[in-house]
Amino acid sequence: MITMKKLILASFAAVVLSFGAAKAEETETLYKFYCAQCHGFDGNGDGPNVSQDFPVTPRNFNKGDVMGKLSDADLVNVIKEGGPSVSKSPMMPPWGKTLTDAEIAGLVKKLRVLCKCKGPS
Amino acid sequence: MRFVSALFLSAAMGAALLMSMAGVSKAGGADVFKSKGCAACHYTDGPAKEKTIADQLAKKGPELWYAGSKFRPEWLGAWLADPKPIRPYKYNSLTEKNAGGHPKLSGGDAGQVKDFLMGLTVKGVAAAPPMKDIKKIKGKKIKGKLTFTKKQPCSGCHLYPARKKVTGGFTGPSLVNAVARLNPNWIQAYMENSKAFKPVKDMPNFAGILSKADIRNVTKFIMSFKPKAK
Ligand code: HEC
Ligand code: HEC
Ligand code: HEC
Repeated sequence: MITMKKLILASFAAVVLSFGAAKAEETETLYKFYCAQCHGFDGNGDGPNVSQDFPVTPRNFNKGDVMGKLSDADLVNVIKEGGPSVSKSPMMPPWGKTLTDAEIAGLVKKLRVLCKCKGPS
Repeated sequence: MRFVSALFLSAAMGAALLMSMAGVSKAGGADVFKSKGCAACHYTDGPAKEKTIADQLAKKGPELWYAGSKFRPEWLGAWLADPKPIRPYKYNSLTEKNAGGHPKLSGGDAGQVKDFLMGLTVKGVAAAPPMKDIKKIKGKKIKGKLTFTKKQPCSGCHLYPARKKVTGGFTGPSLVNAVARLNPNWIQAYMENSKAFKPVKDMPNFAGILSKADIRNVTKFIMSFKPKAK
């Protein structure tokens, strides 16, 4: 019974997320253009901007333990408003005036694929 | 009927006269720009054409349609004759370093092309203030320093001369030489309305995030950079 309920909930969440999110291919383009410069092409936090002088290591998106603590709403929020909005480093820029909500929803989906994790429910 | 055509003719002659008065060197510069193949990589007619990331990535060089508002003329003339790398990475690449090798112009051609490009201005951006006024700006107490180095991620993507050394990120154009190169009035306009100049770029839009006053301060901080040999 419980698993059935979970299944329904999960598929409901998937529908909500995919609704209004940019297509996967567009998301790849966005990620490579905007995010890879710091987070790296594979999401390891080692993009071309990250030298020894870079004050904080950009989040490694493949770390499920850390990424799993952030809800989808947290991810949307930090991408839109930048690091300081969640008491993180200002080196994480605010993208809310650059990307649309649908584009950000697409990026959140991609980050979930990288971390192989869900947020806290 | 004859009156009308006479009027038309004199209007056309007037226009021709005005055009020739606008300066031989400008027209000459436009010709040199074409004949040297510059237009293959740079467009000079605004407004901005790029709408998607694919459009931006298809460009082989930066847009120059507002060059006269963006650059300082002395820098532009000297750079065209002896170009040095500006962006740490190759244009539109995040993997290949900028190896330099931009096409060079001889002294005479560089002067003509400079005049042509300096004629490409946009409304609402005043010419750069005299260099002696900019040289007076000291970085230490400017509020914009905090914005540039701490509160916003500018230094994450742009090289700049900190007190002891050149530091910062690599994916934006280097700002080490910004004082010599850029018109602060253009920086202000670009930061206030970056979509008009660069609708698609891997720098976030800061309009609506930074106030006009914040932008004025951060621009002033950029104008305090003392270029160091790098
Ligand atoms: C200028 C470099 C830079 C760029 C570009 C950048 N980030 Fe970040 N990002 C960072 C840094 C640095 C952190 C780590 C902040 C910290 O731990 O204090 C971070 C953290 C994050 C986090 C984790 C936030 C948290 O609460 O732990 C997410 C999610 C994120 N970035 C998403 C993105 C996305 C999506 C993009 C592209 C639209 C992007 N970032 C572009 C530098 C960058
Ligand atoms: C093969 C493509 C190509 C050609 C041909 C070319 N350029 Fe460029 N141009 C570039 C690239 C790429 C840059 C960026 C260089 C850098 O960042 O170091 C650039 C930069 C510039 C800049 C500085 C613009 C800025 O925003 O930094 C000017 C001015 C310029 N070019 C003028 C010219 C002129 C004049 C010619 C013809 C003699 C010319 N270019 C020919 C590719 C080209
Ligand atoms: C995520 C990286 C990134 C961040 C953060 C960033 N920039 Fe940029 N910036 C760029 C890129 C890339 C360009 C060039 C865009 C283009 O020409 O397509 C640029 C262009 C500029 C230019 C014009 C330079 C030129 O020669 O054309 C100025 C001035 C500038 N940025 C200032 C700032 C300031 C001030 C901040 C902080 C408030 C900032 N940038 C934050 C990446 C960034």
